[in-house]
Amino acid sequence: MMMEGVKIWSQSSQQLKQILQLNLNSNLWLFPRWKPRRFVSCASSTTSRKQSPSSTSDKEAVRSLRIKKVEELRSKGCEPYAYKWDRSHSASQLQLDYEHLSSGEEATHDYVSVAGRIMGRRAFGKLAFLTLRDDSGTIQLYCEKDKLSQLEFDNLKSLVDIGDILGATGTLKRTEKGELSVRVTSFAILTKSLLPLPDKYHGLTDVDKRYRQRQVKVPYITSYFCLLPDIHPDAVLAIQIISEIRKTVESLGFVEVETPVLQGAAGGAEARPFVTFHNSLERDLYLRIATELHLKRMLVGGFEKVYEIGRIFRNEGLSTRHNPEFTTIELYEAYSDYDSMMVMVEEIVTRCALVAQGKLTIEYQGTTISLERPWRRETMHNLVKEASGIDFNMFGDELEAAKKVTMKTLGNNLEEKDKFAIDKCPSVGHVLNEVFEIVVEPKLLQPTFVLDYPIEVSPLAKPHRSSVGLTERFELFICGRELANAFSELTDPIDQRLRLEEQVRQHNKKKQLEAAHKDDKSEDNSYEVALDEDFLTALEYGMPPASGMGLGIDRLVMLLTNSASIRDVIAFPVLKVQN
Amino acid sequence: MASPADDAAKSAAMPSSQGQKAQLADDEDMDPTQYFENRVKSLDAQKAAGINPYPHKFFVTLSIPEYIQKYGVLNNGDHLEDVQVSIAGRIMSKRASSSKLFFYDLHGEGVKVQVMADARTSELDEAEFSKFHASVKRGDIVGVTGFPGKTKRGELSIFPKSFVVLSHCLHMMPRQKPGVAAASENANKGEVWVPGSTRNPELYILKDQETRYRQRYLDLMLNTEVREIFRTRSKIIQYIRRFLDNLGFLEVETPMMNMIPGGAAARPFVTYHNDLNMKLYMRIAPELYLKELVVGGLDRVYEIGKLFRNEGIDLTHNPEFTSCEFYMAFADYNDLMEMTEKLLSGMVKELTGGYVIKFHANGLDKEPIEIDFTPPYRRIDMIEELEKMANLSIPQDLASEETTQYLINACAKYDVKCPPPQTTTRLLDKLVGHFLEETCVNPAFIINHPEIMSPLAKWHRSKPGLTERFELFVNKHELCNAYTELNDPIVQRQRFAEQLKDRQSGDDEAMALDETFCTALEYGLPPTGGWGMGIDRLTMMLTDSQNIKEVLLFPAMKPQDEPTTTPAKA
Repeated sequence: MMMEGVKIWSQSSQQLKQILQLNLNSNLWLFPRWKPRRFVSCASSTTSRKQSPSSTSDKEAVRSLRIKKVEELRSKGCEPYAYKWDRSHSASQLQLDYEHLSSGEEATHDYVSVAGRIMGRRAFGKLAFLTLRDDSGTIQLYCEKDKLSQLEFDNLKSLVDIGDILGATGTLKRTEKGELSVRVTSFAILTKSLLPLPDKYHGLTDVDKRYRQRQVKVPYITSYFCLLPDIHPDAVLAIQIISEIRKTVESLGFVEVETPVLQGAAGGAEARPFVTFHNSLERDLYLRIATELHLKRMLVGGFEKVYEIGRIFRNEGLSTRHNPEFTTIELYEAYSDYDSMMVMVEEIVTRCALVAQGKLTIEYQGTTISLERPWRRETMHNLVKEASGIDFNMFGDELEAAKKVTMKTLGNNLEEKDKFAIDKCPSVGHVLNEVFEIVVEPKLLQPTFVLDYPIEVSPLAKPHRSSVGLTERFELFICGRELANAFSELTDPIDQRLRLEEQVRQHNKKKQLEAAHKDDKSEDNSYEVALDEDFLTALEYGMPPASGMGLGIDRLVMLLTNSASIRDVIAFPVLKVQN
Repeated sequence: MASPADDAAKSAAMPSSQGQKAQLADDEDMDPTQYFENRVKSLDAQKAAGINPYPHKFFVTLSIPEYIQKYGVLNNGDHLEDVQVSIAGRIMSKRASSSKLFFYDLHGEGVKVQVMADARTSELDEAEFSKFHASVKRGDIVGVTGFPGKTKRGELSIFPKSFVVLSHCLHMMPRQKPGVAAASENANKGEVWVPGSTRNPELYILKDQETRYRQRYLDLMLNTEVREIFRTRSKIIQYIRRFLDNLGFLEVETPMMNMIPGGAAARPFVTYHNDLNMKLYMRIAPELYLKELVVGGLDRVYEIGKLFRNEGIDLTHNPEFTSCEFYMAFADYNDLMEMTEKLLSGMVKELTGGYVIKFHANGLDKEPIEIDFTPPYRRIDMIEELEKMANLSIPQDLASEETTQYLINACAKYDVKCPPPQTTTRLLDKLVGHFLEETCVNPAFIINHPEIMSPLAKWHRSKPGLTERFELFVNKHELCNAYTELNDPIVQRQRFAEQLKDRQSGDDEAMALDETFCTALEYGLPPTGGWGMGIDRLTMMLTDSQNIKEVLLFPAMKPQDEPTTTPAKA
């Protein structure tokens, strides 16, 4: 990676030299005061559309051609990177306001001003049609030679390209074909684009590149605005979903707080953290893997309803469900228990579904999901029994018996890595959880609250009020994926200390085992887990009975926008370094 | 109907009461470790006896603020014995009148109500009652079910039938010193602190700064104003969100871990992604990503989020801090100045009720200054005004050696310190700090920075060598930074090259080139105005905080020799 960095530097300075030669005097210009209206233009053009931007040399050719156009514009006193444009209407506003115009009809006294990116054009001798797209939609620009001077018309024929950002003013007309258009009387290049837009139909084959150059190629967050008008604007949906979550919890009286990303000890979950170094403190810091332990401190401090929507970081591999940074909401409410959190999740998810899709029966990757309430609630024990026939209640503390029965019952259907995982389990609770993950999880397609996890795998949850060995915890599963995790919070500081100490012990044991079997790459536990003493001290001052919940926002957005990969719902996902 | 207990209430409320003294002596004399061990022992005993000392659920019918709102209107001496309510909170004060009558202050959501526990209204018999209430400690979280009423002296109370401890405070709660009792009592009653007015942490019950910042929950529990600071912070962010949402902006999230730390000049945090075998940097600014989104067609975007800078910690710097950045297509820096005025004046008005705030700019022992947010704000043309104020005539070509030398001489003349490397940028920055920023107490825009100081800002449309940029200063500190965005990709690459030169001459805070960003510009960024503001600094201003740690829930602290397992000291 050091090498990588050096490469970028040297490469760029070479390119810079080239560019500087092309533009020797660009920094000596005195720029005339820009008057957008003076720069009247239109485009006919029969030339540009034939280019194929797929090959690099073509792209470079287009680029240098366009840089020449930039210079030509400047030599004519027109600044190709304008300062400002006053818009009177967005495209969709015009479509709405002039819905009443019938084909062929004009509104000759209404002058409007629009701006956006040119996405297409057609020219017929003295007439040209440009498609202008802004972030609300598209509008056609109707350009007639008669309305513009000969000079302007000729100038701009050669200087405007698809991809440029233009501002236009004019009156309104609906064409004979029924297309609402701005009949252009003046018209300015606001930003000259140097690179050709990727071809709508051939540019999307390179998936990795699609994600990398989000701003032009991705159906998700932005590019559909300018490139792929057919794809539903999921980006805005994602934003609306987060906004709906915020609205929901704020209407219930929750206060948003911000807790630190950089921490002395990364707690609240089990995951490999990112490590960094603070120069002036001369110490290692960890990027948070959860917001839980700090939000609980707020309950100790007297806030009764708090939440944080924030970034979480885990040093894990990439997959369709994992990005090293992702967004969650965690919320904590004093004097409530995990029952009320189930109601809360149902409320949040159904409200978001209504915002995203307007209905509660949704499609996800070919599966129909019903979000109608109430959702199924079933204990982990019963679900495992139902799927495997094994009743874990009968094992008590007998770990070996649990492993033996599990292997005997499921043995033939287990993969090697599953067998290995079961064999490594340090407690009956771990075996139960392992079996659950293998045989039950993938089958939980319809929304299901899985209740009452074993205490051994739930170090921050309160012991169940009536079932020994279990906790008051649930996870919400939809489409075989965990979406939310919640519990009645453990408030007993003595018990909490024992449980966290046990967690550290278990982790160190796994670490040792792995060190002994270096060839096994199924898991990597070589990182340190430390006790968060400050959190334990806070509990000793007394935390009110409370319940808390964490919800993965990216996964919720994936579900509600029917996106197969987390990379579709994150604006700039982390990708492997290009070769 | 008046309760016979009212008379007792009178005496119990007096600090000189015998009962209280005995009670206090019990707790206060004990060694903190001893106190902790005793409490753990009593919990162990309960657990051994099969009692769960941490109940799972207590049904609260009203929050304490709701209780006060609903029953605050009762007449003195009224008791609603037919009504039954359940409330819960933390006991911050306990007074025993006798073994049959106890008074508690129950705190929740920043307010308090009195609990008057009388053996006669309790479900317990007298012996059990006395024993139980002797075990309840200051700091415990309790649930109380009973009827509402007011004492003859007008104190709104709850008269419990049942009383449960929900969570135990195992440490001795720091206690307020008698000297400041009156002052903080005022803060607790009537005089609620509002944003824009002054504060005095010297009068807090818990004063020790280390404890306040390291154990923020104690700070929140004991110092009622502190809660309001963080509510104010939350309201500031809400206001900004609403303001931008109403203008059609979309809130987006961009990565916090970058392959190249761009968008600003600062030392980044470095981390390592194991699986990808790749070095990553914590973002120092979201600027480049947000502009890429504008290229993609999102015309109005903003992000409110954390930024990270690997710098020293002081009164105005924390390694992570929160900023708001927005980008608005087809707008320029003139539009943004107007928006800034509207946003700030509107926010100050809504939060404080007026445009003028008070701030202890010169320390708590000096009179606070007034800062007036009434728009419009003064606009100071940087170079022009600097030349006038310092009687300078800076050479036209700011990039020349001659200029650097001229500014070195100017700094020497006015005794303005500029530690090496003495680049033109740094020299100018120091001079502007000395001559211009010092004059900006009320909000003022310093505008039109030189190109060499602003690699991402667009050249000025009429003033060669300068950019269309402004910084807003309030109380001599930078609050906002904004410009008409540079969208000419050729010029942008050129500017990055100049930054590289500065890097090579030793300024490791010069900006790095981001190839992806430059490519994005080549697809065309519309004319765009971009704007950033520090949320922490604004919160400091509106909460009369001189230290950034006052407005961060969990500020970064130097590591301690030992963890904070020992009880806090007041």
